[in-house]
Amino acid sequence: MTLAYFLVVAAVLAVVSLFYLGISQDFQVRSDANLAPRIQPIDIEAFRNLMDPAEREYLRRRLPGGEFREVQRRRLVAMAAYVRTASQNATVLIDIGNQSLSASDPQTAAAGRQLADNAHTLQVNATYALLRIWAAWLWPDFDRPTITILNSYERLNGSAMLLGRLQNPSAPVRISATS
Amino acid sequence: MLQAHSLLWHYLWLAPHIYSLVLVALLMHRGFHRQYPVFCSYLIFASLEGICLYVFDISSRITPNTWWAAFWVGTILEGMLKFAVIGELLHHLLRSWPSIAKLGRNIVSGAGGLLVLLAALAAAYSAPDNTPWFVSGAHVLLQTIYLAAAGLIISMFALAAWLHIPWERPAFGIALGAGLVWCEHLAIWALVSGGIVRNKGWHDFANMGTYHFVVLIWSYYLLVPHKVASPSVQEKNPSLASPLATETREKEIAPWNRELERLIHQ
Repeated sequence: MTLAYFLVVAAVLAVVSLFYLGISQDFQVRSDANLAPRIQPIDIEAFRNLMDPAEREYLRRRLPGGEFREVQRRRLVAMAAYVRTASQNATVLIDIGNQSLSASDPQTAAAGRQLADNAHTLQVNATYALLRIWAAWLWPDFDRPTITILNSYERLNGSAMLLGRLQNPSAPVRISATS
Repeated sequence: MLQAHSLLWHYLWLAPHIYSLVLVALLMHRGFHRQYPVFCSYLIFASLEGICLYVFDISSRITPNTWWAAFWVGTILEGMLKFAVIGELLHHLLRSWPSIAKLGRNIVSGAGGLLVLLAALAAAYSAPDNTPWFVSGAHVLLQTIYLAAAGLIISMFALAAWLHIPWERPAFGIALGAGLVWCEHLAIWALVSGGIVRNKGWHDFANMGTYHFVVLIWSYYLLVPHKVASPSVQEKNPSLASPLATETREKEIAPWNRELERLIHQ
């Protein structure tokens, strides 16, 4: 009977959420012109330093166990803040890309679709990265071996994303402080 | 008023199925069945099934056992069509986004696996009933189907919300209506299977009324044209969605993706 009550409560909550979603989608007035300023530039070099395994190893060798774990946890919290900001930026970029899907110019629509698709990858990566960071926060001493096959995937993914891209000197919106 | 065979009862049983058939006819006239063939098949089947069961119910020549046999067959076939509709909606949701299509399908499939386990648990813990097996069994079967179907629809909405995936208007309307009616049916059949509500007339009215409401929702989303978004946003801010601007942003996403993937795979 407890399970039945649980199912009823879950179903009622779902119905209320769907009602809200249906109404908010239909009467939504978008003010999407203000999307771009919502992007927060982030320093990718600082992030690289934080996740550098060599620096981590250096700290591990130099500091006593307890102190290392404390410092490592602080670094992980800082990393999580960067990743969360990247994830929020990805959300904004997805919205910008989605917005241009209905553009009358097919090139703009295609570019918007491509942008949103790549931002989706960033959003998914940010979620995985956050899980990985919080796992490391729980076990700062735990070392996972590098998985070489996934590094190959990374290279492949990087090449695919660069393929066919046109060069553009202007940068109206930056999501990295350095790149 | 809320009695079996009252005027409202007759109306609520028959009217949504007739409206559904009219809706399908209008949609097929517009060529909608080529985009959503499974949903159109589902609507036709559900409507004909509902009308047949209504005729069987009021006919004095049909025995209760025959009615329940027809109900079982209809419920199983309709259940299979419901899952096919979910597959069709998922296809429409993810087909334009290759980078997340596989992940999205895996998430919804994973949710399906968990829901099947939960449905099995709910079936195992359903309250014993002193009605014949084909009556209490039908309640458990309905609870199982609606638990899985409603859960899958909700997982699709969650996926779309997480990744900001835009819905096509027809797919959104179908998913919204299906989500509402399947969640409501789940709540009712969980109450019945759990032994909390037995032999009360109001739950039939709740189910039929909700289905009627949802047919109207489907009619609204599938027949009323979408309000075209004002182009003023892009006109006011042309740099927002220009190909050059989007390419610049893409170039900046790439290093972040590489760094995050390196972190994930470290």
